[in-house]
Amino acid sequence: MNLSSTNIEGLGVRPAARRPAARSNAAVVRTRRLAPFAFISPTVALITVLTVVPIVMVVGYSFMDSAIVAPNPVFVGFANYLKVLSDPTFLLALGNTFVFISLSTILHLVIGLAFAMLLNTSLLSDVTKAIFRVVYILPWLFTIAVIAVVWRLIMDPYGVANYILTSVGILNQGVNWLATPGSAMGALTFINIWSGYPFFMISLLAALQGVPTVLHEAARVDGAGWWQRFRYVTLPHIRPVIISMAVLDLIWTSQQFALIWLTTGGGPLGATEMLSTYTYKQAFSSFEFATASASAVIVLLLTMILAFFYVRQQTVRD
Amino acid sequence: MSDVTVRHGRPNHWLKAAAFTGLVIGALYAGLPVLWMLATSFKGNGEVFAVPPKLITPGFSLDAYTAILTDPARLRFFMNSYIVAIAVTLLTLLTAMLSAYGFSRYEFPGKKLINIAIVSVQAVPPITLVIPYFGLMVALGLYNTYPGLILTHMVFTLPYAIIMMTAYFNTLPRELDEAVKVDGGNAWTALWRVLVPISVPGIVAVGVYTFMISWNEYLFALTLTRTDAMRTVPIGIQLLMGQHSYEWNQMMAMSILGSIPVLLLFLLFQRRFIGGLTSGAVKD
Amino acid sequence: MSMRRRGGPRLLATLGTAAAMVVAMSGCSGPAPGGGPTGEVTIEFAQWWEPELPAGSFAGLIDEFQKENPTIKVKLLSAPFASTQQQMVAAAASGQLPDVVGLDGAWVSDFAKQGAIADLSPLLKADNFPEDQLASQVKVNGKTYMIPVVNFVYPLFVNNDLLQQAGVSKAPTNRSEFLDAAKKISALGGNVKGWALPLDTAVPNGIQNDVMSWVWASGGSMLKNGKPDVTNAQVKSGVEYVKSLYDADVVAPGALTMKEQDKVEKFTNGQVGMVIDSLAHITLIKKNNPSLDFTVAALPSEDSYTGKRGIPYASWGIGVSDKSAHKAEAAKLVEFLMGKDVNAQLSTLANGFPGNKTASPDFSKSDPLFKTAFDIYQAGYPANEFVGLPKSDHLQRTFDEQLQKTLTDSQSVDQTLTAVQSEWASVF
Repeated sequence: MNLSSTNIEGLGVRPAARRPAARSNAAVVRTRRLAPFAFISPTVALITVLTVVPIVMVVGYSFMDSAIVAPNPVFVGFANYLKVLSDPTFLLALGNTFVFISLSTILHLVIGLAFAMLLNTSLLSDVTKAIFRVVYILPWLFTIAVIAVVWRLIMDPYGVANYILTSVGILNQGVNWLATPGSAMGALTFINIWSGYPFFMISLLAALQGVPTVLHEAARVDGAGWWQRFRYVTLPHIRPVIISMAVLDLIWTSQQFALIWLTTGGGPLGATEMLSTYTYKQAFSSFEFATASASAVIVLLLTMILAFFYVRQQTVRD
Repeated sequence: MSDVTVRHGRPNHWLKAAAFTGLVIGALYAGLPVLWMLATSFKGNGEVFAVPPKLITPGFSLDAYTAILTDPARLRFFMNSYIVAIAVTLLTLLTAMLSAYGFSRYEFPGKKLINIAIVSVQAVPPITLVIPYFGLMVALGLYNTYPGLILTHMVFTLPYAIIMMTAYFNTLPRELDEAVKVDGGNAWTALWRVLVPISVPGIVAVGVYTFMISWNEYLFALTLTRTDAMRTVPIGIQLLMGQHSYEWNQMMAMSILGSIPVLLLFLLFQRRFIGGLTSGAVKD
Repeated sequence: MSMRRRGGPRLLATLGTAAAMVVAMSGCSGPAPGGGPTGEVTIEFAQWWEPELPAGSFAGLIDEFQKENPTIKVKLLSAPFASTQQQMVAAAASGQLPDVVGLDGAWVSDFAKQGAIADLSPLLKADNFPEDQLASQVKVNGKTYMIPVVNFVYPLFVNNDLLQQAGVSKAPTNRSEFLDAAKKISALGGNVKGWALPLDTAVPNGIQNDVMSWVWASGGSMLKNGKPDVTNAQVKSGVEYVKSLYDADVVAPGALTMKEQDKVEKFTNGQVGMVIDSLAHITLIKKNNPSLDFTVAALPSEDSYTGKRGIPYASWGIGVSDKSAHKAEAAKLVEFLMGKDVNAQLSTLANGFPGNKTASPDFSKSDPLFKTAFDIYQAGYPANEFVGLPKSDHLQRTFDEQLQKTLTDSQSVDQTLTAVQSEWASVF
């Protein structure tokens, strides 16, 4: 496993080789050694106090019997983990989360890339593109609570979506998008895609702008068509961005809670129950902080696998 | 891409039309829900569910906006959001630039471990941290204060900011630093006098991103505040969802108003923003 | 001395400035709770009531309290109900509940077990408060942890216009009449349905308000000696009835993820003819749709039932934090709000019924429908068996999830009730 270099490291810079020999006295060496720690200390302090400490507390709860609710919780080893892993609802939530984050990420990517390429085309004027650019980032501007409520309104059985679909004749009668077990996950994913693609689009747009024109021209001279140019010139160039965005998106989407809670609450019939809603219900309505913590730690471990791939991908990129 | 694609006259028209149609379809997808939000903000509360749905109803009025803009408590939410988001943006940028410089220009023991930790922090599901976090904030005396909210938001914005800033600094040649040092400067002056000024597009990109995250954050802003004096806009919007009914028009009006500063920020910086967001990542 | 060394101190200076900035900003935050310099005591009172009362009225009552008790200052912490629960749970878990807290019957058992809220009886006794005036007290293991301040009953709301259009002459009084009326209203077509059933699992209180209420209205119970007993004939008949309404297609679409707000919204807009709803909503409905002609009626019972009808209710309960340093002062506030006159005043403002038996609400200023509802209330008895149960929210959610399976025909009513029974039994 090559972890010798991550994205945050220098571009193959080896400080020792560059240090001017004349300044190599003891004091300078000590400063040199301490300087990077001074630079990163605010970050390390903040992250230690505000995330490492609470995470350690959560891990602690996960090994206790009735953590928080009882005055003297007892150490129970992995009992809570066994309980969570044998809970069918948890396994359902795990499966749903997998479907939700995969679909969301793939479609974020496809739509984000499609929009980015439209906005990057040389066929249209800069003003036209600037206007559409603003329209396209609109979904990014709203807080998730409002996105949930607006889409509930639109997807209501008598809402505007069903009205349009029935007037045009696509549907015979309105569908309860969010209340029918068969369509709830699709509807929820649709909303999540809407709210999340702009970030992809913007990042990919920037990446596309970095594709050297020379390469395209060369390919064109060689007789390559649109698809071949996309496949062999554009795609390889933006691949690093795509991969890192995809991994980040998988992590971010797996943490989506407010949107699910405010639209379906995990229902109907558990069709949209996710790890985030499962954990929330355990803690805030069943008062099972111990099992909630165990579930949280499992989620954390799963997402850390993703984080690990992210770091490794960044390594490969450098 | 330059205009070299324009080679043949006729097919270009078709392509242009196709591209334009694609853009319009995309814009409908992106914009219609927002249009519906806007329309709802002008409706009377009873008209929201009118059948068939109408974009503009007889009860069209600006009352919802008036109600929000004349209510000191709501204006306070906006002020709180500005204070928090601006402070988060500035402090995140400052902290991220320092760390990014450390990561970009030095080798030191534990660097990889810290790198992995910083990346992994993003993988922590925030919902799981609510309970211990609450206790921690109370213990630190930061519950229901601006610093509590600011530091919390920084936990979410810092990792991405550091990753992007480091990538950006990595694209700048080390010779720049060395030149400063030869002229009698040190690492500190190299960072602030040379690297930072060149990195402005990247800084703007990270700054806008950070501002947006903080401005729209909901879960911790809800859990870590308990008085109207500390609440932010997303919570203010949620307050309009009562136990029994929604104030539809005000809720929509408030979110429209809330989106304006972010939109202005985007308009103001969009050239640099789009240039900066991946100029660090794509450095071939 | 190397130039580089200067980096350290200057870096620290900058960080110091940043830190100072943060500290300076914390000066903007609210004053710390606790005692003032003159022996004055500040107590915090967290509740969701203030936003639901006419603007300024609750603060007015509190001012009155502060005049009567010049050494006690009350700081109101107000939040809407939806966010109150999450904050209270987090605060209780950290032992940080404010001195006086508004409580929902669903939270009491768990807060009491965590030791977050205090036994009120000794506090009231110390002040010689006449406990016999209290209409009810919510007890856990024999100790009083919550006192209902104002009660809101859930009668049947009926849209008179729709009923008339459907050719039904009066509000239904039993289940057959209700089904018949619901069918006739649904037959009107358009988007109109007879009834609404909010079963969203995020906030599963549709189970107590809209499902179990059918059982209680016919004198039924879901408990036996304080233990779950959901497989009994009365619960079964209630659930089967709800299922028959659902199957007859007289329930507004989207029931499985419908929220309480949606139910009120649909009734207000004339899309639903009848709902079981809180009396507190009369003002809201009239505000949002002044032209709606509606009335309230007792909940329909089983056809043959002649006894007293249980009527579901929700309360604004009050409790005192066990960690409070000012319990005596906190109790003073509780006693003030429960006192005969103030309680009557508060109930009138809230459009609810007083928690003090001797207090009588002033109907002269309120909607005539309240008088009707008060008569219904007095003819029956308040029934909400979820109050004071452990993990009440969880119990309702379990019921909800199983009921959804029955409604969508993936299991029978008996299977549902058996499943609920075994899940509930594991909680008690």
